[in-house]
Amino acid sequence: MLKRVRFMSLVSVLFSVAMLSLACGVVWWSSARADSAPGKQNGASRQWAIVRVELPASDESFPPGVGADIATSQCLICHSAGMVLTQPSLKKDEWRAEIVKMRTAYGAPIPEDQVAGLAEYLTNINGRQ
Amino acid sequence: MQRSLLLPSQSRRQFLTGVGGLGLTGLLGAPAWSGTDESVVFPFVNGDRNLVKSFPQKGAMVLQRSRPPLLETPFEVFDQGIFTPNDRFYVRWHLANIPNVVDPRTFRLNVRGHVKQSISFTLDDLVRKFKPVEIAAVNQCSGNSRGFFAPRVAGGQWANGAMGNALWRGVSLKALLARAGVRADAQQVRFNGLDTGILPQTPDFVKSLDVDHALDGEVMVAYAMNGKPLPLLNGYPLRLVVPGWYATYWVKMLDDIEVLDKSDDNFWMTRAYLVPDTPLADIVPGQQGVKLIPINRMVPRSFFTNVKDQAKFKVGEATTVRGIAFGGDTGLAKVLFSADAGSHWQEARLGHDHGKYSFRQWTVELRPTSMGPQILMVKAFNTAGASQPDRANWNGSGFMRNVVESVSVQSV
Repeated sequence: MLKRVRFMSLVSVLFSVAMLSLACGVVWWSSARADSAPGKQNGASRQWAIVRVELPASDESFPPGVGADIATSQCLICHSAGMVLTQPSLKKDEWRAEIVKMRTAYGAPIPEDQVAGLAEYLTNINGRQ
Repeated sequence: MQRSLLLPSQSRRQFLTGVGGLGLTGLLGAPAWSGTDESVVFPFVNGDRNLVKSFPQKGAMVLQRSRPPLLETPFEVFDQGIFTPNDRFYVRWHLANIPNVVDPRTFRLNVRGHVKQSISFTLDDLVRKFKPVEIAAVNQCSGNSRGFFAPRVAGGQWANGAMGNALWRGVSLKALLARAGVRADAQQVRFNGLDTGILPQTPDFVKSLDVDHALDGEVMVAYAMNGKPLPLLNGYPLRLVVPGWYATYWVKMLDDIEVLDKSDDNFWMTRAYLVPDTPLADIVPGQQGVKLIPINRMVPRSFFTNVKDQAKFKVGEATTVRGIAFGGDTGLAKVLFSADAGSHWQEARLGHDHGKYSFRQWTVELRPTSMGPQILMVKAFNTAGASQPDRANWNGSGFMRNVVESVSVQSV
């Protein structure tokens, strides 16, 4: 409970600081560092900063096996391998349904003659009977 | 509030220097994969996950998928406060072309379509020309807890951390639309963000609300979250906030609002995010011929936050058991707690009420009287009379899980 009380006190202190800042006319929500030119230009506001981030690359890859090349060349176009590797074990027809959904709903360019091979591979790495 | 914009930027810099550490400099970065610090094991098959700190503006998060990012909030965060810190707030993107730079000088929010006049707002306009509104509201992924579905279903295999509660600040959508003037026969309002698919043929992620809902005065366009700008991965600079509704409608990096004179027939409204039109979207696995409708209102849930499975309690000693609960699409009425697997229930004490869409803390004192295993349960009721089911609801998409939560503990 003490931890909770401390947390709530912290919240109220922060809130008071925020309110005080408001009263002083400080733009309190400006937590982003402005790496834009100072001042206002072209509709930019003083409290909004350019936000620039870098998203980490994935280090997940498909395990080796017959058909891994299809998975790597097709699935990874739109999403990292983690999406596949964290799935529960699916039956081959369930994997096939996922592949069909990727092709028809999301436009994945998986050639039709590779669908069976990919379903086979996915069932081998993460499938059940 | 608005007055502050007229101050010299010097004041702001001094303030930022003064409080230290508020600048984003130290938070950005993550130039490369920095490996894992720890891992977590969710209690379902294939539930091992890495805990990573490599995503910008984020602390330790459970990695569900790197690209496009799916990051889950580690559950212990929910024990630390009713509001989920921005740097621990879960992340869910559908499409991998996510701008990694947002320039507020050029950013515009466009309101167009079936309106009297199209308008383009700068971020400044939103702050300066509208009365700010604030609401505490839970944002929960439709598929939160999907990993617990039995039988299992495909999709993001979340445990219970694809949710968060924040104090959202921004502009009422009703006020925004009033500037453009919604035409009398408008049907729906469609929301689009800056993200796009890698392939041109992938349907752009857009979501729509009925016009009456969009004009209800609660739906808002948020420019701040817990008093700070939104992290980029949570939708900087603007995000739609749809209190009481699943997060799929809370469009991130919102830059386009289009009023429609017909019902939206796009992929994300008519083919994805559909649920059986049954109570709690519940069907029997394999059930066919069920009418499907777009997912919509949230249902009540409650969780333990300071007790895990296999926790030990001392006989005769009082311990505070606590957690969080929310009512879904309306306020929380009460939370019941059981120390005997649901045979007897007692009402939990509720913490401060931050509004009907917010998390609320609950607490009970547990004093075991005899040794042995015990099953603790918690069940939320909302003010509309809805409560959590004793048996888990199920559907093929893994949406809307809200079964009564239980933990197995030992009294020693």
